Amino acid sequence: MAVVLDVQNLYSGYNGSLVLKEISFQIRKGEFVSILGPNGSGKTTLVKAILGILQPRSSSVSINLGEDGLRKLSELTPKEIARRIAVVPQGLQFEFAFTVGEIVSMGRTPYLRRFQSETNEDIKAIEEAMAFTNTLYLRDRLVTELSGGERQRAIIAQALAQKPDILILDEPTTHLDISYQIEVMELLKKLNEEGVTIITVLHDLNLAAVYCERMILLKEGSVYVDGEVDEVLTGENIKEVFGVDVLIHSHPLTGKPYITSLSLISSALSSQKGNVHIICGSGTGSSLMHSLHEAGFMVTVGVLNVLDSDEVIAEKLGIKVVAEAPFSPISEKSFKNNLGLIDKAQVVVLADIPVGEGNFKNLVAAEKAVEKRKKVIILEKTPIETRDYMEGRAVKQIEKLYLKGALKAHSEEEVFKLINDLMEIENG
Amino acid sequence: MERIRSFKDKSFIIFLILLLGFVVIWAASVGAVSIPLKTTARIFLSRVFGLSFLFGKASWSETYEIILLKIRFPRVILAVLVGAALSVSGVIFQGIFKNPMADPYIIGVSSGAALGATLAFVAFSGFGVFGFSLIPILAFVGAVLTTLLVYNLARVGSRVSVSTLLLSGIAVGSFLAALTAFLMIFGTKDLHQIFLWLMGSFSAKNWDHVKVMFPFVIFGLPLAFFYSRELNVLLLGEERAQHLGVDTERLKRTLIIAASLLAASAVAVSGIIGFVGLIIPHMVRLITGPSHKKLILASTLFGASFMVVADLLSRTLMAPLEIPIGIITSLFGAPFFMYLLKRSKKKIF
Repeated sequence: MAVVLDVQNLYSGYNGSLVLKEISFQIRKGEFVSILGPNGSGKTTLVKAILGILQPRSSSVSINLGEDGLRKLSELTPKEIARRIAVVPQGLQFEFAFTVGEIVSMGRTPYLRRFQSETNEDIKAIEEAMAFTNTLYLRDRLVTELSGGERQRAIIAQALAQKPDILILDEPTTHLDISYQIEVMELLKKLNEEGVTIITVLHDLNLAAVYCERMILLKEGSVYVDGEVDEVLTGENIKEVFGVDVLIHSHPLTGKPYITSLSLISSALSSQKGNVHIICGSGTGSSLMHSLHEAGFMVTVGVLNVLDSDEVIAEKLGIKVVAEAPFSPISEKSFKNNLGLIDKAQVVVLADIPVGEGNFKNLVAAEKAVEKRKKVIILEKTPIETRDYMEGRAVKQIEKLYLKGALKAHSEEEVFKLINDLMEIENG
Repeated sequence: MERIRSFKDKSFIIFLILLLGFVVIWAASVGAVSIPLKTTARIFLSRVFGLSFLFGKASWSETYEIILLKIRFPRVILAVLVGAALSVSGVIFQGIFKNPMADPYIIGVSSGAALGATLAFVAFSGFGVFGFSLIPILAFVGAVLTTLLVYNLARVGSRVSVSTLLLSGIAVGSFLAALTAFLMIFGTKDLHQIFLWLMGSFSAKNWDHVKVMFPFVIFGLPLAFFYSRELNVLLLGEERAQHLGVDTERLKRTLIIAASLLAASAVAVSGIIGFVGLIIPHMVRLITGPSHKKLILASTLFGASFMVVADLLSRTLMAPLEIPIGIITSLFGAPFFMYLLKRSKKKIF
C-alpha cells in the first residue's frame, strides 16, 4: 500500500524549546495507528506538527497528493493540507451557538472560495458525514446544548465533511463515558474499513490494543517503539516508558493483549478466596494459573525448573514459585520448600505433567499432600500411561494417589469447578 | 429573549431593509420645518436615487427640496453610513477577539482619532487645507497610525496574538489619552468644541462628508461579508480554523485592517460615537445567531437605522440645542440593551 504520510527526522516544539526529536515513521494507506505515550511525551505536539500548524510548517512531514506523489507540508497551502488531513482535536468546546448543521458545513471550508456558496458536491459531503456519524437528527440543535457523545460525533462529522484521506484524532475518547468511547472507536473502525487512514492519540492502552493494528509509543519526544500491537505492548516497554509494572495477558474474548496494573493485582489478592498449589511444568499449568489467579485464588506452584514455560508465566503473574535450576532434577531442598507451600494450600492440583526420574519427587509431594488431608485434584487430559517415562512407576504412584482419596479431572474446566466447590465447602 | 431561530432569515432582513427605509424618510421629514413623509419620500427617490421619472415634474415646494438636499439628507445618509460602518467593525472585532467586550475602538482607533482631532483644534484651530477641515484628516491619520502601532507592538514575526493585541491596545490607548488631556490644557478656548467633538455629532455635515465616508463603506462592508465564512470558522478558535485550512494570520491581518479603516473613517467624519459598535452586534446576534453572513447583513441594516434614530433624537429632543449623539446612543441604547439582557435567558455570546 502506498505511503500516505511520511515523517522524516522531525524536530519540533514551541518558541525554541524542542519537544519532538528525531521522529521518523511512515503511515500507509488504510492503516489504523495509535500514538501512545505518557503525558508530556509529545503526542499532541506531534499531531500539530503533522497538521502543519506549528510554524514554520515542517519540511520533515510529507503527505501523498495522489498523482503528484509525496509533497512536503512546507510547500502546501493550509487549504491543500486540510483537504487531505482532517483532525479531531482534544476537548474542543463550542462557545458559540451554531447549529450542528452549520458546524458540519464548516468542514467544507478548504474546498470553498470566499464568496462561493456550497455546491451539490459540498452538500453531498455534508449529508454523508452527518449520516455516517448519525448526527442528521441533530442538524438544527445548537452545539452548545449537546451531550459529550453528541458533541464528539458532530466534530467527527465536521472532520469527515473535509473528505480527508487521513483522519487524525487527539484523544477522541477522553472525557467520554464507556459507551461513548466504544461508539467513537466503532465509528473509527467503520471509517477505516471504508479506506480512511486513521491515526489516533489514545490514553487507554487496552482500547488501543483492541482497535489498532499498529502502535507508535513515544517517550520524551522520540519514538520509543513502533510496530504491531504485540511488539509494542510488552511489560518491558510499558515499564520503560510509563514507569509502571504491568501484567500483559491475552484478553479471553478478543485475544488481544490486555494490560492490568500489578498494583491492581496485589490489591485483588487481599480478597483471596483460598490457597491453591499447582504441581505442573512444560506449560501444563499455565491456563490453570491464569484462571485461578484471575478468579482471586492465592496460587503457588512448584517445583519448576527456571525458564520452564510455566515458570515464566508464574513469574509474570507474580505467583510464588519453588524453582530449581534449569534442566536439573528436583533437589531435596526444593522438595522441602514445595511441601512448605503445599502445607499452606487447601487444594493441590497435579497437572498432567510427563513424569521422569527428574521430577518424580513432585508426585511424592502430591502423596504427602493427600496424607496431610489436602484436597488433591489430578488433571488427566492425557492419561498417565502416555506420560510415564519410568516404566510404570509413575502410573503406580498415580493409582496410589487415587486410592488415598485424590480426585480426578479431565479438563481445566473441571478442575476449576471442583476447586470452587471444594472451597465453598471449606469456607462453609 | 429566546433566540428566534424559526424566524425566517430572509423575512428578518426584509424587515430591516423596510425599517431602514422608513427611518431615513421619517428622520428627514422631522425638524424645524416639518415636511410631509410622502413629499420627503418622493424627493428622496427622485433626487438621491435619481428616480425622478417616477414622479414626472417636481410637484413639491422648492424650499422642502433645498432643506432636504442641502441639510437633512446628507446628515441622515451619513448617519446610515457611520452606523453601518461602526456596527460591522464591531462584529469583526468581536469575531476576531472572540470577546463580547470588543468594539470598533478596541485597538486604539478612538484614542488615536481623539489625539489627532485635539491636535487640529489646539495647534491649527481647526484650519482647513484645500477647503477641508483639518479635524477629520488628523483624526483619521491618528486613528490609522495608532492601529498600526498597536498591531506592530503585538506582532511577533508574522503572528499576532489576540490577547497581546488587546493589551497593547489598552496601553497605547491610555498613553494617547494622557497626551490628549495634556494638549487640552493648552487649548482652553477650544475645550468646549473638543469636548463636543469627542462625544460625536452629525451636526453641519454635508455631501462632502458622505463622499469621504462612502468608499470605505462600499469596500469595507462587502469585504466583511466576503469573509463571513472564515469569521465563523475563527469562532471555533484559531487552531481549529487552521485545521480547516484557514490561514488565520492573513485572515486576522485583513480583517483588522478592514475593521480599523471602517471605524477610522466613521470617527473622522462624526467624532467618537460610543456604544453602537459594541451593542448592535449583540442585539442582532440575539436573533440571527452567531453565523456571520446573517449577522453582518443584519448589523449593517440595524446599525444604520439605530444611528439615524439616535441622530433624530439628538437634534429634536432639546431643539434647537443639539445633544451630542454619543450621549443619545448610550442614554437610550444602554437601557434597551439592559432590558434585552435581562429578558434573555441564554448566554448571548
